[in-house]
Order: sequence, then structure tokens, then C-alpha cells
Amino acid sequence: MILDSEPCTGCELCIPYCPVGAIYIEEGIAKINDDECVECGVCFRSGICPVDCFTESELSWPRIIRAVLSNPLIESPDTRVPGRGTEEVKTNEVSGRIKTGFVGLAVELGRPGIGSRLHDVQKVTQAMAEVGAEFVPENPVTFWITDKKTGKIRDDILNEKVLSAIVEFAVPIAELKPTIEKLQAVSKELNTVCSVVNCVKLAPDGSIPTDKIYQELGITVRPNSKNNVGLGRPLFKFEEVS
Amino acid sequence: MTHTLHRQGTRESLSRDYPLVAVAAHGFNDKGAGPKLGKFLEICWRHGAVNLGDMKQGSVFSHDADGIIKNVSDTTIVECVFDDLGKVEAVLRELKEADIGMPVVVSGFIESVRECCKKVGLEIHTVAQSLGVWGKTSLLPRKEVLEITTMCGHAMVSPNLVEKMIEDIKKGKMSAKKAAEKLTKPCECGIFNPTRAAELLAAAAAK
Repeated sequence: MILDSEPCTGCELCIPYCPVGAIYIEEGIAKINDDECVECGVCFRSGICPVDCFTESELSWPRIIRAVLSNPLIESPDTRVPGRGTEEVKTNEVSGRIKTGFVGLAVELGRPGIGSRLHDVQKVTQAMAEVGAEFVPENPVTFWITDKKTGKIRDDILNEKVLSAIVEFAVPIAELKPTIEKLQAVSKELNTVCSVVNCVKLAPDGSIPTDKIYQELGITVRPNSKNNVGLGRPLFKFEEVS
Repeated sequence: MTHTLHRQGTRESLSRDYPLVAVAAHGFNDKGAGPKLGKFLEICWRHGAVNLGDMKQGSVFSHDADGIIKNVSDTTIVECVFDDLGKVEAVLRELKEADIGMPVVVSGFIESVRECCKKVGLEIHTVAQSLGVWGKTSLLPRKEVLEITTMCGHAMVSPNLVEKMIEDIKKGKMSAKKAAEKLTKPCECGIFNPTRAAELLAAAAAK
């Protein structure tokens, strides 16, 4: 984001709009801390500046990943999907992305509202690679993992800051417990927060196959969930497992 | 993306908060999906959604609803939010009859959504559940602010702006309704619930 200080009157109206607090006043005019700015575009789109100081920058690599993972109106050039993740449960009745007997896990680094550097994201990709996680190919973060066996992310983006980045992968339900234990351990090493999601297809009797595992782990699953109500067509033919 | 998940608050408050999302499955039914996704939005708007948007166009707090509905593309994601479960039931009934074939996700208490589905002859197929916030949680803003900011899963609603709105309400500079509208605008997807935000802002300002 470019803030043209020339017309700025130092009114400070823009300051509370920045989700990561990157706008500050120096010598009576507003400035942006470029290292903290995540290129989300909120200050520009808000129209709050009475003298139009904000202009969206033409971003090049690697800074462009800030916009891809922070501005929801920008489509990822790698996945061609707006937003930071994939279709996950949203289309599962048609795409069959989350198979019977498997669980999809999504670890969103930086959410809610704190932001994350990619080196914290790499801590999670490396830990999950150690337990054999299968990274979802359509996710932007997966595109930047240079070695899927080690979870290594390309070096030139590790210091980039984004509003949030989702590490998305699948594991067999039988492997869920050690995977979550590993995730709990690595989350203690983070310099940010992460919001964690469990995605699973319901059993034929309507029960949730992973509920008991989380009870055993002492993890509270929040009661307000995201529920695919099965309206998509044509339906994917799932293989049921006993 | 899981932007309608992880909403925080009391059970009582969240019982008036139901975001809906529709998207085509890439490579399966996305060709010609735009008008069908537009139909989804049209049905939701007619049944009283309190916010609505398209991830490629923005929300009704920045653009005209009819314009958004008419210009939906095949590869976008469309969203809205309701403050009343009865309206969600009516929407699901009409969507089932319309048979547009687009996948739809309803966020909210699973038992409420399940009951709603049962009444119209649907069943929950797949679920995404929040396991909460892990890591360095000492960085998070206070609970009253998080309950508001988490209604925009892309974090477009700044915690500092929420604090300012609470202060402005306390000082009598702004009504809770007007403050809620100001907070709704940065959420481009249209899933931020202005009705619930006004209630939460009024409660926070009264403390």
C-alpha cells in the first residue's frame, strides 16, 4: 500500500481501520510501517481518507503473497480461487475431496486477526510433514512448499507477513490422534495464534466419526460448525468403509 | 476457506447468527454456475438476509444488491448471513425445490442446522468444526472485541476500529446501529452480521 504523505493532514481517521496497526503518525503526518503492512487493502477501500492519500501498489514477488493471503478480493494466481484456502467441506458432496475414513485438517496461522510470518507457517508444515500429512494441492501454501516430505517452504518468502495462511492436509482417521498431539506441541513454539479446523464426512447414522477422538484428547470442539447440507449435484460416489 | 467458522460468543448471541455460502465445485459443476449462484443470492435476499456479498464484487454495504446478483461469475464464492433460523429454513426449502445443484454450507449450531435440514428433507453431508484458537493466545484482543471481529473470517474488521466504535457509543457520538454499519462495510464477503454486531456493541458500551 502506498500512502502519499504530501496531502495528508494528520487527521488520524485512517489509523483504527488498519487490521494490523501498521499506520502511525510521525511529525504530524500518517505513515505506513511497510514491514508490518499485509497489503489487505482495507485502508484504501474504506474511503476514510478525506484527501485520498492511499493508493494500491503494483506488487511483485515476493511481496505479492501478502495480498494473496490478506486481501480476499484477490484471486490466487496459483489456485485461481479467491480467498486463502480451498473448497474444503464446501463442495464435498460433489468433489469427494474429503474421503470416508479420512479427516481434513486446516491450521490457519495468524487467525483471528493477528497475522503471521511465513516462518511460523513453516514450523507447522515441517511438523505435519513429519507425521506424514498429505498437503492439499490446491491450497496456496502448498504451492510454496518446496519439499513435501520435509514441509520446507521456499526461503524467499519466509519473512513475509500475511493476515493468515492455511496449512491444509488430510490424514486417515486412525492417524488423527498422533497428528493432533504433534500439532499441539508445535503450536507452543509459534509467535502467533492459529485457528484449527476438523473436516469430516458424517457417518451414515449422522454421527461425526472424530468426536470420540477429541473427547479422548480433552479437546473441546466448538458447537457452531460449518455444515454442508448436501444440495450440490452431481453427487460424488463415496466408498463406505466399515 | 473457512471464513464463516470460528465465530465466538455466547450460545444465546450465536443463536441469531447463520452465515450461508454457495460455491461451484471446480472441475465438476462450475461451468455455467454464475446464474445459479446468482439465483442462490436472489433467494437469500428475498428471505431477509441481513448482509450479502460476492467475493469478487463485494457486499451490499458497498454495492447494490441487484447488481451483485446479476453479475455473479462461475468461479466466485457467494455468501450471506441471517439473524433468524426460521428464515434459513425457508431458504433451504426453496433451494431444495429450485434444485440449482450448487453446494451450500450453513454455519451455526449443528443441532439447530440438523433440525432445520430435517424439516425440509435434507441431511448434513460433511462438517467443518472449530477446535479453537491455539498458539500465543496472549496476543488476542479482549473477548468483547473478538466476538465482533470473528464475524469477518478474513479479519477485515480491525480490533482498533471496534474499540473506537465502543468509545464513540459510550460518548454518545454514534448509535450502536450506525457503529455496526461502519464495521460491516470492510467485510467484503457479506458474512458480517450487522444485527448481532449492534447488540454486541451496545452491550460492550454499557459496561
